[in-house]
Amino acid sequence: MIYVGCFLFLCGLTRVMASYPIWWSLAVGHQYSSLGTQPILCGSIPGLVPKQLRFCRNYVEIMPSVAEGVKIGIQECQHQFRGRRWNCTTVNNNLAIFGPVLDRATRESAFVHAIASAGVAFAVTRACAEGSATICGCDTRRKGPPGEGWKWGGCSEDVEFGNMVSREFADARENRPDARSAMNRHNNEAGRMSITDHMYLKCKCHGLSGSCEVKTCWWAQPDFRVIGDYMKDKYDSASEMVVEKHRESRGWVETLRPKYPFFKRPTESDLIYYESSPNFCEPNPETGSFGTRDRVCNLTSHGIDGCDLLCCGRGHNTRTEKRKEKCHCIFHWCCYVSCQECMRVYDVHTCK
Amino acid sequence: MAGAIIENMSTKKLVIVGIILLLFQVFSFMVGGLIAPSPTSAVHYLAAKCVDSVKSHQPKKWFMPWGPNQCEKIRTFDEAMARRIEANNIVFAVHIPLPQKEMSPWFQFMLVILQFDIAFKMYNQIEDGAMVTIDVGLAYRDDTVSEWTEMAHSVEQRKLNCNFTTAKTFENEGRYYECDLLPFMEVGSVAHKYYLLNIRLPVSERKKVNIGIGEVKDIRLVGIHQNGGFTKVWFAMKTFLTPSILIIMIWYWRRITLMTRPPVLLEKVIFALGISMTFINIPVEWFSVGFNWTWMLLFGDIRQGIFYAMLLSFWIIFCGEHLMDQTERNRFSMYWKQVGPIVFGSFCLFIFDMCERGVQLTNPFYSIWATDVGTELAMAFIIVAGICACLYFLFLCFMVFQVFRNISGKRSALPAMTKARRLHYEGLIFRFKFLMLVTLACAAMTVIFFIISQVNEGHWHWGDYTVQVNSAFFTGIYGMWNLYVFAIMFLYAPSHKRYGDEHSSGDQGANSGEDIQLTTTITHVDGPTEIFKMTGKTSQE
Repeated sequence: MIYVGCFLFLCGLTRVMASYPIWWSLAVGHQYSSLGTQPILCGSIPGLVPKQLRFCRNYVEIMPSVAEGVKIGIQECQHQFRGRRWNCTTVNNNLAIFGPVLDRATRESAFVHAIASAGVAFAVTRACAEGSATICGCDTRRKGPPGEGWKWGGCSEDVEFGNMVSREFADARENRPDARSAMNRHNNEAGRMSITDHMYLKCKCHGLSGSCEVKTCWWAQPDFRVIGDYMKDKYDSASEMVVEKHRESRGWVETLRPKYPFFKRPTESDLIYYESSPNFCEPNPETGSFGTRDRVCNLTSHGIDGCDLLCCGRGHNTRTEKRKEKCHCIFHWCCYVSCQECMRVYDVHTCK
Repeated sequence: MAGAIIENMSTKKLVIVGIILLLFQVFSFMVGGLIAPSPTSAVHYLAAKCVDSVKSHQPKKWFMPWGPNQCEKIRTFDEAMARRIEANNIVFAVHIPLPQKEMSPWFQFMLVILQFDIAFKMYNQIEDGAMVTIDVGLAYRDDTVSEWTEMAHSVEQRKLNCNFTTAKTFENEGRYYECDLLPFMEVGSVAHKYYLLNIRLPVSERKKVNIGIGEVKDIRLVGIHQNGGFTKVWFAMKTFLTPSILIIMIWYWRRITLMTRPPVLLEKVIFALGISMTFINIPVEWFSVGFNWTWMLLFGDIRQGIFYAMLLSFWIIFCGEHLMDQTERNRFSMYWKQVGPIVFGSFCLFIFDMCERGVQLTNPFYSIWATDVGTELAMAFIIVAGICACLYFLFLCFMVFQVFRNISGKRSALPAMTKARRLHYEGLIFRFKFLMLVTLACAAMTVIFFIISQVNEGHWHWGDYTVQVNSAFFTGIYGMWNLYVFAIMFLYAPSHKRYGDEHSSGDQGANSGEDIQLTTTITHVDGPTEIFKMTGKTSQE
């Protein structure tokens, strides 16, 4: 009985101290949809470590954008992986929103961490520009009474603030001396770096008669899809590491070093991992794989979304579907489409 | 003009003056680089999407993006779709500035740039040459609780210049178009603390308004204003420079009126240059801190234009008066060919400026670039001004070439001349070469600093110090041209050293052949006294 209790306790502990953040669940399901209407209760966010809780209480006004950031990160992940065996599925009935997949230190984990931390930085910067957070940007580091710095010399860019929030909040739980923490820290930083690296300069001339005698430039944030594409490239070229254990005064410390020393060392903006991914072909509750049964595949493609690869050689079923589709539409720029309905016939291929 | 201070000054004194001016020059760079912040700031604004749920459209309802009384916001348009909110009921609200900040008259001006985030959709693409119609209102208030007061309201059209860089396939749906920045608003004074912009994109299928503009996801604005710190440094500089130029100008004119002869053209032009410099210098902008004078931006442009035109004319006339050929000039009408392009070009730019910034006095959302006709007109003005500038520089280069040719001609003849003539020509040559050198140095400095300020990111870190290169450029170059005008007025003022020599008479007969030649050069008007002096001098020796 005691053993069972211990086991349950351990399970509970691992659930809270999962290898990836539980608070990501803010971005899915009813928790997300209630963000706009109800104020966030920091205590009710699952899986926060004390430092994050403190941060949340101090800066509760930016918490919705933190959740928003994770949301756009997940959406981007699902877009980038849409035709692959693992398609970044989230589960609604579990606080660990990706299931056990990300518990292993795989490439997928690396990608999701990076894109989520990039998403947080991105969304916070956006929120700052929208004015929905009052603590953004300037005056925090400048001397003098607040407001005067702004009048004297303007503000610093909001991007730094977005990165700062992402670093303070998302990295707060990654302070353990183990390998997974080191990996998460690295990948989170790589995600944020991708935002900074993709900022682009825009300028406006407004001198005499609009000449470039006086020119003002600013850094603009890219479309998040650009970040997603870039991170996907980094996913494909991620570096495999091995874990090294050192004995230090505070106990065993795990660090990572490249598995193949003759390859180029991963830079700060590269993704790293140290466990290989499962093949995601068959459902496996232990690895969190959902399998590819009943997934729609592309008959003509020879890539990973083609029926051969996606179905792992099991073959596919084909059925014909009649769908009502909208056609000859007139679109407004938002929210309104007037269409006729057309019937179209499709062949749908699904994996066996 | 002969007998300017510069000719009679000893080299030592000239070097001292040069060093003092150089010190002031360094100082003016330091003021901008070390004290002032960067000249302008750009602030990003993302428009909040408010829902105008009141069906009866109250005439004056303002939507606040945040704070108390904020509007009913939606996060994305998918939400609007689900709630059956139509495009006409969506108001984009932007509050300038961001929360917990306020605008200040020290910002001098505010211009706002508009950028659309438009997502690519296979079946809802941006049509070629799509125009977006924007219904925009601007309001202000001076405290956080009172009602908003409308400042301007307008329905504007802007051309969407967007291109999609990746392939137009289903795969790439949801990517954003790359759209050009659109000029949106320009206000010439920032007299109020808070501004509010409410933007609508009304849709009308019947009138084909805002149809085919793609799927708008967000509206982003960038607000640009001059930094308060920079304005203060700039004003301080102007306030300091005005009296210095004014004093030297009065001193210069007194010297000229003290002479027995009427002033020659070159002296008048130098004086006019001084006046136009003072005109720029006078810190009338101080009033913009207290009064809501929106025309200050336009006025600044005009003042700057007058100075540039004057400076260019001065160069031409200076070259012309030092040509040392046998034609008599000394009349403004002689230079119509060279000054004509300057006047015409400046006039074109003035008209263009009136069309843009002049109209903006009444409608801050107006932009000449928004319509095709306007763009063509504006381009025409600018091209004509450009042609005029080219023409001018051709004339100037040709003239400088002529002067140098004449100089080398005179050089070879110099040893054969009598001392009086030699001194006279050496004086001319030295005067010309000196100004040529200084002008070239100033122009080179301007160009170099302009390039530096364009190329680099605006500030350099030097240990603990941050050097604001752009500010240093503005204050340094501004100071430099002031010093240039100052130095010209000081060094080219008539020297009084020889006033006493006028009574002396010499053997005129012997030099009469030379006299005829000398009088045809620029010294014509003060020729007799000059010749008396020089002939007197030679005879004394």
